[in-house]
Amino acid sequence: MSERNRLRSFLSIVYLNGILPMRSQPLYLVNTIASPLAFLFFVYVASHGALLAFGITGGLILTILTTGTGIQSDLVHYKQDLKFQDVVVASPVEAPVYVAGMAFSEFVYAVPGLALFIALSLVRIPGAPASGMHYTLEGSLTLFGTLVLVWAFASALGFTIATYFQDIRETFVFSPLLSLILTTVPPVYYPIQYIPADLRWAAYLSPTTYAADLVHRALCTVASSAGPSCYEAPSWSATALDWGVLVGLTAILFFLAATKARWREP
Amino acid sequence: MTPAISSQHLSKTYKFKGGSVQALDDVSFDIPEGETYGLIGRNGAGKTTFLRITGTLLMPTSGTALVLGFDIRTEEREIRKRIAMVPQESRPLYFATTEQLIDGYLEMRGMERTETRRRRNDVIDELGLGDVRRRLVSRLSGGQRRRVMVAMVLASDAEFLFLDEPTTGLDPIARREVWAAIGHATRDRRTVLLTTHYLDEAEALSAHLALLEAGRLRVEGSPESIRARVQLPYRVTLDSSWSAEELASYGTVAPLVNGHLLFTREKEAREIVQAALKRGSQVALSPVTLEDIFLQLVGRPLDEETEAQVEET
Repeated sequence: MSERNRLRSFLSIVYLNGILPMRSQPLYLVNTIASPLAFLFFVYVASHGALLAFGITGGLILTILTTGTGIQSDLVHYKQDLKFQDVVVASPVEAPVYVAGMAFSEFVYAVPGLALFIALSLVRIPGAPASGMHYTLEGSLTLFGTLVLVWAFASALGFTIATYFQDIRETFVFSPLLSLILTTVPPVYYPIQYIPADLRWAAYLSPTTYAADLVHRALCTVASSAGPSCYEAPSWSATALDWGVLVGLTAILFFLAATKARWREP
Repeated sequence: MTPAISSQHLSKTYKFKGGSVQALDDVSFDIPEGETYGLIGRNGAGKTTFLRITGTLLMPTSGTALVLGFDIRTEEREIRKRIAMVPQESRPLYFATTEQLIDGYLEMRGMERTETRRRRNDVIDELGLGDVRRRLVSRLSGGQRRRVMVAMVLASDAEFLFLDEPTTGLDPIARREVWAAIGHATRDRRTVLLTTHYLDEAEALSAHLALLEAGRLRVEGSPESIRARVQLPYRVTLDSSWSAEELASYGTVAPLVNGHLLFTREKEAREIVQAALKRGSQVALSPVTLEDIFLQLVGRPLDEETEAQVEET
């Protein structure tokens, strides 16, 4: 397949799996942002507004992470229920193009949620000390880069797992579990300082802790009204570790997707 | 002439907790290029497994096959450029219209937009989908959805089409429309591998047939040559004025609701027809159908399932 045909193939998958369903059923979008918004609301109320910035960064990470669980259910549905993946495998479409198309169409779903959380981060709320943030170029790039990496590793993970599932009900079990491990428990919606010092190592087992670290800094260090919920200026080594873990994990999951995912049944 | 598929000692064993099932057992035969080839057999006979292996969806346990001259084990990319498939029980994406789905599939295969539109319009006309071209697939009947799946692959530029039970669930008129479209595909010198339960369909569409039973190739050839291999090539239906014992000396007798079905040779067929006319009983004589041949070769009817069915489907 030529590069031009690959691009055409990619775009048609995005159209079929992303644009068309969204156009025919806009309520899918509510499903994407319902959980992140619910968490934000809870965190905002429980902290009396003090953890607003954390609620927003948590919302951004959870929204982008749902692309991973979304791709998982879509792939299993297409493979097991519709047999659409079989149609694709027995065609010139290559596995990376199919997965990229599916992953990007999930990203399309996440865009309105991401826009909403970024808009919320810009709104100044009276009495909320960490509201009304200003984005610097460095902070914006950090936010963008982190979200892209989370999207990439979540998609690779979702794809690899999906190829092993035999029934869509297995995703009903696995997706909430993944969500719990990657966003609810780790310090994504709250500062890591809230975890007792001798247990903090456990938080660093989750890659989203590193992502949250980066996003918190990107948003809070440039906030005009940096309040108690924001970090101090980041150290070079901590930032390097965060990027290193995210890039390394993404590379490992891409390698696993390329070598262990079942495009062709054994 | 290079065969479209050359299957060489193809075997597949499905392993699962507590056991295994041999779905294909040392299957070797060739499928000629540019014609429709029918693969028939009961559920679990190995038809879908054969199709999935040669369609590069599944690896064989042993043996191999050449599809359009390429090895399924090592050259699957070359094969995939040239094939299209309607898998068993596949359904179209339900949030697209008929047109959007066909366009999407063709563009996904890398086809230019103008060519996509032309081929989509042709196939929609050919398969009688004009009334539902802008209707969401979720609002189509089961038969229409199936036709949309077939339309997708027929509109493609694939040299080789794999159709796994493409007319299951269709009404007789819709079946005929799909048959006509498959016929058109072979007029374009494309090869079609068709698996089906419907022996009338296999006979109507296929230049050659293979009968699989319990993972093994039982018989292969043109419908005429298969018929010629049958020892009792005539079927005679007789009313209940005859007893099974009376008929036993003429051939093999099977019971019917209001009489008997006798499989017999030409000489005995003439004798029994004359005797029946003399007696004034109702009698009908015809060559055996594929269904009868299946029964004679396998010893069980087509709708009986096998152990491998669950694994295969």
